[in-house]
This record gives sequence, C-alpha cells and structure tokens, in this order.
Amino acid sequence: MKRREFFKKAAVTAGAAALGTTAAEAGTTHQPIDNRKISDVAFPEKRPLITYSDRPPLLETPREVFTCALTPNDQFFVRWHMPDIPTYIDPDKFTISVNGMVNKALKISLKELKEDYEQVEVAAVLQCGGNSRSAFSPTAGGIQWGNGAMGCALWKGVRLRDILDRAGVKKGAEWLAVRGSEKAAYYETPDFIRELHLDELDDHVIIAYQMNGEDLPYLNGFPVRLVIPGVYSDSWIKMIDNITVSDKYEKLFFMDHAYVVPDNECECETPEKKFPKTKPIYRMNVKSVIGYPTNGDKLTLKSQAVVRGVAFDGGAGIKTVKISLDGGKTWEDAILDSGKLGRYAYRTFRYSFKPKKLGKLEIMAKAINKLGEEQPLAKDIKWNHGGYKYNGIDVVTVEVV
Amino acid sequence: MKKIVLTTLIALTPMMAQVKEKIEVPYVAFPIKMGKGFDVVQANCLMCHSFGYIINQGRQSKAFWRGKVDKMIVHFKAPISEQDAKIITDYLFEHYGNGKEK
Repeated sequence: MKRREFFKKAAVTAGAAALGTTAAEAGTTHQPIDNRKISDVAFPEKRPLITYSDRPPLLETPREVFTCALTPNDQFFVRWHMPDIPTYIDPDKFTISVNGMVNKALKISLKELKEDYEQVEVAAVLQCGGNSRSAFSPTAGGIQWGNGAMGCALWKGVRLRDILDRAGVKKGAEWLAVRGSEKAAYYETPDFIRELHLDELDDHVIIAYQMNGEDLPYLNGFPVRLVIPGVYSDSWIKMIDNITVSDKYEKLFFMDHAYVVPDNECECETPEKKFPKTKPIYRMNVKSVIGYPTNGDKLTLKSQAVVRGVAFDGGAGIKTVKISLDGGKTWEDAILDSGKLGRYAYRTFRYSFKPKKLGKLEIMAKAINKLGEEQPLAKDIKWNHGGYKYNGIDVVTVEVV
Repeated sequence: MKKIVLTTLIALTPMMAQVKEKIEVPYVAFPIKMGKGFDVVQANCLMCHSFGYIINQGRQSKAFWRGKVDKMIVHFKAPISEQDAKIITDYLFEHYGNGKEK
C-alpha cells in the first residue's frame, strides 16, 4: 500500500482498534502503572517530573496535572531519542534551511519567522504513541509510561505551507524531510527525520516557536518544532534545522521500523506471532484521563466531590465524556468545557457527586468523539508489540472516609 | 522621524530568549544491578543512553534483549562486537529477564 493511502486509512480506522479477533495466546491489557514517584531532580526549565532517563531525557507528567486544558510548560512531558541535544542555541544566529526541490532555497532566521510570515496559533495535544505502554502484558518493549506522556499547549508559529510557498515547491516534488538537530553518539547513526507527504500539510501544520505564550523549553524543542495536530508526537520534530523537499520517500528507522503498529483491522497481534506487515502510527484515537481524584485519594462521605479530567482525539472532536461509579453498569454525562480551544485540544470535563458509601470506590471515565468512536475497557484493548495507541477507559480507585 | 528611530531600535535589539546560556541536563544515578558482564554493558551501552533505558523496559525474554542489542547494532550503528553482544544479552537477561528464552 502506498504511504499516502494508509495515512488516509489510518484516519478512518483509528479508534476501531478494539475490534478484531482474539487468539488463545493473546496478550492482555490492563490499567497502566500509576504509582511512579516524581523525581527529586528538576531538569532545565522543568519542575521535578517522573524521570525515566537523563540521557536522552525522558520525563513524564504526573496525573494531577490533567485537570487543566493547557499543560504548563514546566510540567510538559519530555521525550528525546538521541543522547546529544544542543544545550545552547543562539536565537540571533539560528536558521532553518529549506532546500531540495524548491525554486529558491531559504535560510530562515527566527526573526524572519516571527516578522515576515503570517503568525498563527493552534491549541493541540501532543501525545507519545507509547503513552500508557505499561498497560500491556506481556510487557511491550519500550519505556513503561503511565498516562502522562502527553500534554496540550497553545502553539504559535508559522504555517509550514506558507514557508514552502515562499520557497516555491518544484513540480513533481512529493515529500518533505524534516530534520531535528539532536545528534547520536556515532556519526553513522541516522538523524532523527520525519518524512511528510505534501498532501498532509493543512493550515494547522505549523512550525512553532512559542508554547503557551512563552519560548519553547529546550527540552520541548527550542527554538522551533513541528506541530501536526491530531497526530502522535514522533512526527512533531523538535529543534528543526533543516527541511528538504524531494520527489522520493526515504525509508526511516523511526517512522518505518520503530513507531509502527500491525497493518491489520484491529492493529493487533499476539506476543508469539508478530503480524508481518506494519504501518506507522499516525492519527490519535479517542482517550480521556482523570486528573482528580488520583489513585489512593480520600473523599469525604456525603461531601460533594468533583471529578476532573481531560479528553481528546485525533481531531474529530469530543462529543461526550461519561462517568461510571458502579464498575461500568451505568454511565452519566460529565460537563464539558466550552471547547473554545478547538478540536485538537483537550476538552476538560467535570462531574460532581456525593459519595454515599464508605470504603473503596472506582471512578471510570470514557470519552466518545464526534465520529461515535469510544474508549474501550482496558481489558478489551488488543495487544501489539510496540505497546502503542493504548486508549482504555481510565479508572481511578479512591477511598471514601 | 520618531517612527524611523523606533524601527532601527527594534532591528538592533537581539532576540530575547527565556534561557540566555547553556542548559545543563542533570545526571541521574539509576539503580542498575551489578554483576557479570556489567563492565561490558557500561562500556557499550552508556555511550548512547542512560541505564534508565534498561531498567525501564520491564522484565523481558532473552530473545527480546538480544533483539534490543541487535537494534543498537543494525539501526543505531553501535560498534558492538559479537562477543560483547552475547555478554550484554546474558547480563540483561540475568538481571532484567522474565525467565523465558523467547
């Protein structure tokens, strides 16, 4: 299948991941691990977060942050792939090169980016494809993220399309290779590049230099990163320094080998039998996470409690979020925020109730998008080798005292 | 006249950045297990990534760990000899294994 076609197909089948066949030896899924401690080490421009690695830095946002529509920059998750990240970039000297099949090669300074192009903003969720990977059993290879490899920010920058128009794309060009400036330890290691098809570019795909009204933190890609709303974060190249326009697609490790799911209807396979054909992860499926209360919190009997959280999908938009307090037997609608941040952003939800019984209480949240796709129960999610695209109904267990 | 002066001023002002000097990414000591082959793990793996990458993969089969070592050689071009690859795999499986060959 041509890449362009499966991008389209991915958009259609996303969210239908839970449908499919079961096999006797199938892997299983459950609630992701949720008891990781916040580190006592603070990384540059960050508060202390859940820390999986310092080199390259891998930081997870704690659950309680997911009550806000916009994730604060200093609590926004971090994921790099190479050990050497530039630790200083002079904003006066930094340029993005645009070259290849263009009429006029460009070297765009930050000043030009901010002054010579139309400035646009988009609020969008950035989520690692492996977010919640710790839900998969047997353990899927990769960092065992809980629910916090995600965040939502208001991104400001310039449309990638406008930059390409300025350069003038030559006839026959089809692909864009967008390169980040992180470097490997060995010269031979391939650079971190994302190939984008020109058809993928819409008005929402931007090169962003601002995040929630501030410079991007270094660890989130200062000074500029790619923003592709609705799409998993491996595509959102950080610290972009080069864009090459081409008529050829170059096979890439991260896109064609690492961040992939089985290319079948259920995007699933068994631990024993890997599905031979794969496709890159692309559009995000519908998901919600409860930010308050968190596991182990105490609620007071008969006192009004308000459950809060965030819901999002790949851009269709959230229709409802439902809450269950009886193990999924009955569901009630939560109240959604106005949605003014747009269809790519978090919708915050809230649901108030009076705990009526002492002891343990399970609170479940399920989001449904405007296409009618809804989150499956954790146990109904099908296993895949990479532990990608988990979107099970979130469950938080509290104690009523 | 006033307008021209202003424009010149803006043009000369350097871009303001939140961070004006080199950032320092802190070192985190991950509780890696000691044992046979650790020196080889240290010499080969630490070039590219912290021990956090090892201990945060979960318990895995021998084939999984061998696959990870091969990935480093094939895709990331790490110059790991076959002899070292075996030692690293054995170390990983012994300390971070799930007891299964496959």
